Amino acid sequence: MSDVRNNRREAGGSSVITANRLLDGRIVWQVGEAAWSTLIDDARIIPNTQIEAAIAQATARQQEDGLVGVYGVQIESDDATPTPVTVRERIRAFGPTVHPDFTPAAELEAHA
Amino acid sequence: MPLLENGRLVPDPWTTLDQDAFLPAAGPVIVPLSRLEEGLARPPGEQLGVALPPDAEIATLRTVLPRLSLVAVTFPIFRDGRAFSQARALREHLHFAGEIRATGKPLPDQYEFLLRCGVSTVALPAGSDPQVWARAHTRFRTAYQPSVRGERAEGATLRRVL
Amino acid sequence: MPDTLPAPALPIGHYGYDQVDRAFLADRVEQFRDQVARRIAGTLSEDEFKPLRLMNGLYLQLHAYMLRIAVPYGVLDSRQLRELAHIARTYDRDYGHFTTRQNLQFNWIRLEDTPDILARLADVDMHAIQTSGNCIRNVTCDQFAGAAQDELVDPRVHAEILRQWSTLHPEFTFLPRKFKIAISGSPNDRVAARFHDIGLVAKPAPDGGTQFDVFVGGGMGRTPIVGVHLRDDLPEEDLLAYLEAMVRVYNEYGRRDNIYKARIKILVQALGTEGYRQKVDAEFAAMNRARYRLPPETVAAIRARFGTPDLHAPDDAAAQLDRARRADPVFDRWVRTNTHPHRAPGYISAVISLKPAGGIPGDATSAQMDLVADLADRHAFGEIRVTHMQNLVLGHVRQDELHVVWQALRGAGLASANIGLIGDIIACPGLDYCALANARSIPIAQKLGARFASPELQETIGPIEIKISGCINACGHHHAGHIGILGVDKKGEEYFQLTLGGSPGSDASVGQILGPALPEDATVDAIARLVDAYLVHRAGGERFLDTYRRLGAALFKDAVYATA
Repeated sequence: MSDVRNNRREAGGSSVITANRLLDGRIVWQVGEAAWSTLIDDARIIPNTQIEAAIAQATARQQEDGLVGVYGVQIESDDATPTPVTVRERIRAFGPTVHPDFTPAAELEAHA
Repeated sequence: MPLLENGRLVPDPWTTLDQDAFLPAAGPVIVPLSRLEEGLARPPGEQLGVALPPDAEIATLRTVLPRLSLVAVTFPIFRDGRAFSQARALREHLHFAGEIRATGKPLPDQYEFLLRCGVSTVALPAGSDPQVWARAHTRFRTAYQPSVRGERAEGATLRRVL
Repeated sequence: MPDTLPAPALPIGHYGYDQVDRAFLADRVEQFRDQVARRIAGTLSEDEFKPLRLMNGLYLQLHAYMLRIAVPYGVLDSRQLRELAHIARTYDRDYGHFTTRQNLQFNWIRLEDTPDILARLADVDMHAIQTSGNCIRNVTCDQFAGAAQDELVDPRVHAEILRQWSTLHPEFTFLPRKFKIAISGSPNDRVAARFHDIGLVAKPAPDGGTQFDVFVGGGMGRTPIVGVHLRDDLPEEDLLAYLEAMVRVYNEYGRRDNIYKARIKILVQALGTEGYRQKVDAEFAAMNRARYRLPPETVAAIRARFGTPDLHAPDDAAAQLDRARRADPVFDRWVRTNTHPHRAPGYISAVISLKPAGGIPGDATSAQMDLVADLADRHAFGEIRVTHMQNLVLGHVRQDELHVVWQALRGAGLASANIGLIGDIIACPGLDYCALANARSIPIAQKLGARFASPELQETIGPIEIKISGCINACGHHHAGHIGILGVDKKGEEYFQLTLGGSPGSDASVGQILGPALPEDATVDAIARLVDAYLVHRAGGERFLDTYRRLGAALFKDAVYATA
């Protein structure tokens, strides 16, 4: 993805890494190298000083990991669990606001 | 660079020259449009082709076309579809009967379109799988438009039998 | 009378496929299956695959893949609508979204299921070809085509001709940018012909045939422009040849260096109407006209694949409808707002609102789709139309059966009496779904819908079109809204810019920006103040648009910003 919004980051602070799964398009968050979750709560939090390198590493393995569009998402610094700073990424993380029943957590439960 | 014709790899007798390459006095060569004069200055009977940039006006070739055996059109990226219109104009407006070669980065998924716009050969981009191109050559049986290939119309419908 | 009409040999209102058309689609489905396999195997990169999946209507959106299915000229038959309901249940989350281009979108599709979904669609003669990409998109049409009293020519046969001609066109599938064609056959423009890359208006020719008014270079997006009139006398037999010339000039000269300047409207502006016309005429003159001629036999052959409804209403159908209306004021209001006059005595067209107060504009559940399909079978010759206002239409309903239809719709939450009123809001999917959006559109529509839920209030306010886009691409047609709302992003937060005075119709105009964008929580109140100002200042039976055109923006600006 070349969307400029995906590269908005402050020098300080932290980010998480996200992508879409190739096979079903669902949003995932990087938990560790080659490990991804549909829940942002599971995401590995990375200081912005190291985020570019981490994104590059994840991007290099995206075909092998079955992913598309790897990028970093800035998160609020004072929250216990990762919360993206932008509305767009909050909607990606927590589902469409117009369908409160379609959260990633609910989906995980439905398929459990 | 492998050359494809009718879905099969064929030998390529042509040498493609760039802006600065030495122009041999004999043998089939493709020159850039900017060197067309030079190419035409070779002895009569020597086979000459010209490589068109995508923004070239086809009409400018009108007077020299009888001297050309080949016109190369190009896809700088596969999404740039100007070469389709250039090929069609060469066949339809100028009645060019020589080889039209597609160069650059066309996709096998565009092969049917290339053929139906009048392209006869494709210089396969690096890394192409000729099998995928071969499959694309025979995949379709029907189209809904007339083309320069003059396919048979199916009754009074818009459909053409490929 | 039997419960269900016997299945006609040909579908009513759209072209009936034969074995050749089906084989064509089957080949295309297999091609896509092969492309998906190559993508999953990694031999196609995402960059290479993206335009191929887009050619089959498959986007990667915010949460998942989104599949946009073409509804050619907005006409479906009941079998097709049931299949869409089935796909919604099986492969998606039990609903679909009808769009402003008369298509249907599913929001939760899996890439690996897509070839199977396309195969199922092909089973009912549907596809998703060219619902995206820089090609000629699904041709849109008047939702009352073939039914409306004011219509001069039923444009759907020509819409089908354009569908076939543009499908996998060898030369025009990699244009500088997307290309949208609309066609109408009524002097009252219901297709926004002047906001399309090409707008066609069919009308009777002096010799008894058909000829076309041609508009070009209209559009919304970043640079909203009302299309210019290119000619008014295009004969039917030159329809395809002339469009070939128009699109070829665009393919050759349209800008490819800047995505925001790549639409034909920019080319037409750059060359001037006369300059563009000259190039088209030169191309047209140079063409092999015999090859591109559209002979009357071809039009007749395609027309012959359309089923036509056998319209026979009882003599007292209108009287029965009158009685039902007098007996039930709620039904009476719905008939007032949600129907359109039919050309045949005893018939009427009924609009099914997909805009329940507080709901998501254009969404329908699979159960609702099934119910509409059943109603269409029983009361409308199995034909359903999708409107660019994101509603559905039963085109040919007997007036004496309308009350029964309404009761069934009411039971399914489909009888909102708000067509053309403030509740009939167009909204794009916005940031809740769309990867391009800057702001959410649907919540604003929901809040406005709830705020103006009262049918009495809506009728008091009268005709008004609110249109909401979540970004400058303007899928929600905000430029053509009497009140347009555009979502913008300010440092990751949502703001909304209001435009007033847009209109999509024969009096087409682009809405003007009223002032600074408003935060999300102030937007609905601001619109309520706009409406109040209109109610105070309107004269006689004036529409909102008329009042705005008469009095200008100042008083509305005061209403929105004075208290802020």
